[in-house]
Amino acid sequence: MNRRVFAVELLDELRGIVREPTALLFSVLMPVGLFAMFVGIFGRDASGGLSGGTSMLATFGTYGVIVVTMMNPGIGVAQDRERGWLRAKQVSAVPITLTLAAKVVAALTYAFGVLAAMAATAAALGVLDTSAGALVRLGAVLLLGSFPFALLGLAVGFQARAGASAAILNAVLMPAAVLSGLWLPLAILPAFFQQIARFLPTYHLAELARAQLAGGEILPHISVLVATTLVAAGLAAVAYRRART
Amino acid sequence: MSGDVLRVRALRHRYRDTVALDGVDLDVAGGECVALLGPNGAGKTTLVNLAIGLLPRQDGEIRLAGRDPRIAATRRRLGVVHQALGFPSTLKVAELVAGAAIRAGRPRSAAGPIMAELDLTELAGRRAARLSGGQKQRLQLAMALVTDPALLVLDEPTAGLDTVARRRFWRILSERRARGAGVLVTTHLIEESAAVADRVVVLDHGRVVAAGRPDELIAQLPDRTVIVRTVVGHDRLAALPGVVSTSVDGELVRLRTRTPEALLRVLLAEDPDLADLRVETAGLAEAVLGLTEPTERVAAA
Repeated sequence: MNRRVFAVELLDELRGIVREPTALLFSVLMPVGLFAMFVGIFGRDASGGLSGGTSMLATFGTYGVIVVTMMNPGIGVAQDRERGWLRAKQVSAVPITLTLAAKVVAALTYAFGVLAAMAATAAALGVLDTSAGALVRLGAVLLLGSFPFALLGLAVGFQARAGASAAILNAVLMPAAVLSGLWLPLAILPAFFQQIARFLPTYHLAELARAQLAGGEILPHISVLVATTLVAAGLAAVAYRRART
Repeated sequence: MSGDVLRVRALRHRYRDTVALDGVDLDVAGGECVALLGPNGAGKTTLVNLAIGLLPRQDGEIRLAGRDPRIAATRRRLGVVHQALGFPSTLKVAELVAGAAIRAGRPRSAAGPIMAELDLTELAGRRAARLSGGQKQRLQLAMALVTDPALLVLDEPTAGLDTVARRRFWRILSERRARGAGVLVTTHLIEESAAVADRVVVLDHGRVVAAGRPDELIAQLPDRTVIVRTVVGHDRLAALPGVVSTSVDGELVRLRTRTPEALLRVLLAEDPDLADLRVETAGLAEAVLGLTEPTERVAAA
């Protein structure tokens, strides 16, 4: 029964994506447009044994995936709460975790679209120099690694109104993106950025993604992301219990 | 009527220092309609939220169809009509009704007959968020009924409906009750609940202060209303022996009293020309008011 119910929940979320093209425009075109602009300028520069374009697929890909997986479920749940729809879901026969999981999985389809569009852009500009296998690993790491960010988005959505949720999540994500070198390489930024970056999960997800393309250690990054997931899950659980529906 | 579909025993609930429910018992049998009444802050919302599994139980017992309502699977046989529910802007009527059926473990095909019964078939392809208030209420009822509920919980279900739509709403519920569904309704339309409920439960300060058939509750209140046109001033009327409260209704004055005969004798002595005299028994609204505001009544008397 749960698989059938999950399919219905997921289908409802996907209908929301298809039928609200403005949201699609913002969530996909904005990060992909930003990526295209930076790749156009720095795409042929070498960066850590990779072309700039390929390296940026890891960093901008991290940014694009997090934007979608943090914002969509977070703002979505805040909207559902405001209109009383979350309350209706809570008293239905569906475990609320299934409903929330459907929101996150639906956001992952968006995120996959973002990554595919970025990869296509890099290929079209002639700056993609990695294997298909590495690209698949990159996609898998980014989609799986976005889970703690989805939980953080939900935590905010359970407490703040929809408009405020968007503002709060942007206020968290934008500085984190800059400080983690998601837009510009940390090597060209002031040294203290690197010191701060080590404490940010966004940085560790980007490094884990880059390791799929250029090699390098992965365990420290996985450890940070697992710890972040646990903390974010705790925050989301507390926020849910205290949510006003 | 069949066995209890909702059974609540010695239910207590607190919000920090505030006692919301203080030892509440409540039963709703299959086929029965119970109206939950009481002033704002009486504990109605807390009781309903506990009954539908929205709040965790602190103390006492709640059984929905014999099981804990906090377990999701228990709620397959629960239908809820919420007050002022907003639907997602992207979903259509047919998708919502079919989705409700599947979530309750019923086939998608269960949606069609319910939609036809509630005149929603022509609206099947319409986005739910764009429906009128009355259409949204019908959609909510369809989503509740498609679960084949053992218990229907209705929160101000007829708010925003016109008289014809209200009659239809209660007729459809009556048919469901005949098939064994229990109904728990909270409403501010007390006289409406008197017309449709088998039993009324009155909550005040987290306790059940009265429970019984509407006519039994009305009979508990000995007040009568004397309605009259008189030249006697309002202050003088309020001071007459036995007057509980007074109100002005155009040229008429309404005097609540427990001793209408004695009051009439005094009134005639004060104003032998009084006109348009009428004596009415209290309705359920007055009975509920009388049961939940004893202090004010004594003070007014």
